Amino acid sequence: MSSDILRSNPLREGLAQRSIPDPCTLVIFGATGDLTHRKLVPALYNLAADGALPPAISVVGFARRDKSDDVFRGELEEAARKFSRQAINDDLWKNFASSICYHRSEFDNLEGYEALARRLDEMDAARGTGGNRLFYLAAGPDQFEVILENLRKSGLNKARPGAWSRVIVEKPFGTDLPSAKRLNDLVENAFDESETFRIDHYLGKETAQNIIVLRFANALFEAMWNSRYIDHVQITASEPLGVEGRAGYYEKSGALRDMVQNHLLQLLCLTAMEPPPGLDADSIRDEKVKVLRSLRPLTGEDVFKHVVRAQYGAGSINGKRVAAYRDELNVNPESVTETFVAMELNVDNWRWAGVPFFIRVGKRLPKAATEIAVHFKSVPPVLFRATGESIDDNVLVIRIQPDEGISLRMSAKMPGSSLRIEPVKMDFHYGTSFGKATPEAYERLLLDAMSGDATLFARRDEVEQAWKFVDAIHEAWQHRSDDLAVYTSGSWGPGEADELTKRHEAAWRRL
Amino acid sequence: MEALVNDAEFIDLGIPVEIGKIDKTLGELWDSSDDTKTRASLINLVVYTESDATLAADNAVLASVAGRHACRAILILGNPSAPVSEAKAWISAHCHLLGKGTRQICSEQITFRLDGDAANALPNIVFSHLDSDLPLCLWWKADFPEPLDEKLWAWVDRLIFDSVSWHKPHHQFSMIRHISSSGKSAAVLCDLNWTRLHAWRFALASQFDNAAAFPHLSHVESITLRCAPHSQIAALLLLGWLAGRLKWTLDVENRAFRTSRGDVISFHIEETPGPNLSFVSIKSSDARFELKLAEGSDFFESSIQTPGIPEICQILPAPRERLEETLLAELSRAGRHKLYTESLEIILPLLKS
Repeated sequence: MSSDILRSNPLREGLAQRSIPDPCTLVIFGATGDLTHRKLVPALYNLAADGALPPAISVVGFARRDKSDDVFRGELEEAARKFSRQAINDDLWKNFASSICYHRSEFDNLEGYEALARRLDEMDAARGTGGNRLFYLAAGPDQFEVILENLRKSGLNKARPGAWSRVIVEKPFGTDLPSAKRLNDLVENAFDESETFRIDHYLGKETAQNIIVLRFANALFEAMWNSRYIDHVQITASEPLGVEGRAGYYEKSGALRDMVQNHLLQLLCLTAMEPPPGLDADSIRDEKVKVLRSLRPLTGEDVFKHVVRAQYGAGSINGKRVAAYRDELNVNPESVTETFVAMELNVDNWRWAGVPFFIRVGKRLPKAATEIAVHFKSVPPVLFRATGESIDDNVLVIRIQPDEGISLRMSAKMPGSSLRIEPVKMDFHYGTSFGKATPEAYERLLLDAMSGDATLFARRDEVEQAWKFVDAIHEAWQHRSDDLAVYTSGSWGPGEADELTKRHEAAWRRL
Repeated sequence: MEALVNDAEFIDLGIPVEIGKIDKTLGELWDSSDDTKTRASLINLVVYTESDATLAADNAVLASVAGRHACRAILILGNPSAPVSEAKAWISAHCHLLGKGTRQICSEQITFRLDGDAANALPNIVFSHLDSDLPLCLWWKADFPEPLDEKLWAWVDRLIFDSVSWHKPHHQFSMIRHISSSGKSAAVLCDLNWTRLHAWRFALASQFDNAAAFPHLSHVESITLRCAPHSQIAALLLLGWLAGRLKWTLDVENRAFRTSRGDVISFHIEETPGPNLSFVSIKSSDARFELKLAEGSDFFESSIQTPGIPEICQILPAPRERLEETLLAELSRAGRHKLYTESLEIILPLLKS
C-alpha cells in the first residue's frame, strides 16, 4: 500500500502531525555493532512505546557473527534496557522482540543477500509488511560499497510494484569529495536519490529543528536576521572527551572532516538560509545548498589566515590529568591530525555580506556544548557616551545541546539614582518549560525514513558541496604542518583561535 | 517554600495572604529564595471547583501538573450558597529538580476560597491574578452556571471540563455549545473525556494503516464497545468520531448508523466494571479489528484479523487513567478540537434519549 493511500485513512485526521510510517521491514547491516545497540534499537523501542511504529514491522539484523534469533534478541534487550530513554515494559518488549530476527552472512557473500531476499519475502507474507524495505547501513564505511553492490546484484534494491525500497546511509559520507562522489555513485547505482536517506543526527535534534521555527515564526528575529543588524555569528561544538578509543578512525578524519563537514556546516546552513517556499524536504534542502554554494572558498594562503587547527596537549579535565593526543593509544606519536578547528567563514550573498561566521569545534575543551550565538551590532555610541558606560551587544544564543534552549542578552539599567547599564539574560530552557522528555534524534530520523520524509536528511548535492569546501582547506594543510598549534587539555583552544575573532573586534563567547 | 499556617480546612495550600497583597507576597517569596530556583510559566491554569471533598486531590493534581508543565496555577473553591460572604487566599510554590542538576524549577500557585456573594467576584479574581501575556486555561470542575458570565468566557483560551462526571450531559453539552457558538468566546473546548479517547482513536486509526485492513473501513457492519457504568459518554463520543470520519448518519430510532449507501451499522455498548473503556471491536463481513485494555495496563492489545494474512497482534500505548496524566496530555496539545465538536453533534440526540 502506498503512503498516499495511508494518508487518506479518514481515521487519521486530526490525530498526529508526525509522519505516518508505512508497514515495512528494517534491515540493519552491522547489527551487532555499537550504533545498533546504543541508538537504533532503543530508538525503535521508544517508537513502539509511543505507538509510532506501523502495525506491521519486522527488524532484521544482518551481520557476520553466528548467532540465533533468540541470542540476538537477548543482546538487543540488554542494550535497550541500558540505553532506552523510557523504562522497558516486559510485555511491550516481548511484542516488539517478536518482530526481530537475525540473518548471518558475510557482507561480501552474494548468496547471503539472496537468502535474505527469500527470507524477506516470507516475512512479508507472514507479517503483512507489504514488500517495503528499509536498509540501514550501520556497518563501517569501508563496508558500504560491498553492501550496496550486493543489494543491487540480489535485486533487493528494487521494490515490487506498489512497495518501496530505501537506504539509510550513516556518516561519514566519504572522506573527501572524490570518495563522497564515489559513494554517492554507488548508492545511486542501487537507489534513487528519493530513496536515499543520509543521516546527520544533528538534524534530528529538536533544537536544530527549532532554528527554523525561531527564525521564521518570530517576526522579531527574522526582520533583523541580516548584515544590517548582525555583527557576526559564532557556532561552537565543544566536548571534554578525547579520542576515546576511536583513534583508528579519528587519525584519518580529524575535527574538520569529522565535525565541520557535516554537523557544523548543517547548523550554519540552518542559520544562514533564506526562508524556504515550503517545509517539504527539497524546499529546505534547496535553500541549504544555496548557503553552501555561497560560502567564500578558502584556498591556499587564505586557509592559514582564516582557519586555525590545533591538537590537544596534556592537561586536566574535571580535575583529572589527561594525556596529550599524541600519547593516546593507537595515535601516531608524530600525528598532525587536528582535534580542534576554528575558522572564519563568509557567506557571500546579499543577506550576509560582511558578516563573519566563526566556527570552532574541539575535543578536550572544558565542557560539552553545542550552540549558535548570533551577535548583534552595537547601538550607535551617542546617547550613553557621557555616562562612560560600555554597552554589551545583544546576543541571541540557540543551545543545541545540552540544556537545549534559547537565551537573549540585552542591556538594562541597574536600579539606583545613577545611570548604570548592565547586561541581563532572558533565558528559555526546553527542560524548564516543556517537562516531557524530547525524543532522541534517531527516533525522529527512523520514523521519517519509514515515512519517506527526507527533510532532515542530507541530499547528495549538500554533501558534495560541503566536501568541496572542506577539501580545499584540507588540501592546503597537506603542504605544511607548521601551523598546527597545541592547546592544553581543559582550555578553550589555542591563542591563535582568539586572533581570528580579534581581527573583527570580537571575542569567542565564554561558555 | 513551606506552609507557615495550616488552616483547619486548607491543609498544605500554602501561606495565607490578604488578597490585595498576593503579588507583593509572591515577589517577596521569590526574592528570598536562593539562586538555584528558577520560576517558569507557560500558561495560566485556573481550576474552579465547588467541591470541598476533592480540593486536596485537585491541589495534588495541580502540584503534579506544574512540575511537568510550568504554569501559574490558580485554584478556586467557590461556595456560592454559603450564608456568609468571605474571600480567602493562600500562595504556594511547586518546585522540582531539573534533570540531574541542582537547579529547581518552580511554579507558583494561588488558592482562593470564595464563599457566598464573594463567589460572584470570580471573574475579577481570575483577571487580576493572571500572569500577563500567557494563555488562560480554565478547568471548570462544576456544572456550568446559568447565566454564563460572558466576560469570563471571553478571556478563556482553552476551556477544560470532564463530561465523565456530568449527571445531565445533554444540558451541559448544550451550554458548552452555547459558549462556543455565542461568538463571545474563542475558547477551545477541551473535554478530558475526549482527551482520554485520543489513544483509542490513535490505535484504531493505526489498525487501518495496514494494507489488508484499509478497504474494510468501507464495509463495517457492527461495532461493540465495553465501558465502565459511568462512561457511556466516552463510548458514544468514540462512536460519534467513527461516524463522523466515515460519513455515517445516526438513525436515532433504531440506535444505529447508516452509510451513504444506506447500509446499516449496528452498535452495542456493554457496561462492565473496569477502565472507562475496555474493549472496542469493529466487524466487517469477513474481518475483525479489536482493541482490548486490561485494568491497570498501560498498553492495548491490538488484533487485526483479515482474510488472506495471518492475524496481526500489536501492543500499543493506552490512555493513562490518572487525572493529572490526562490533564497534561490535554495541555500538551495545541489547536482546536474540530473532531470533538463534530462527534458531539452526532451523538447529542442519543444523550437526550
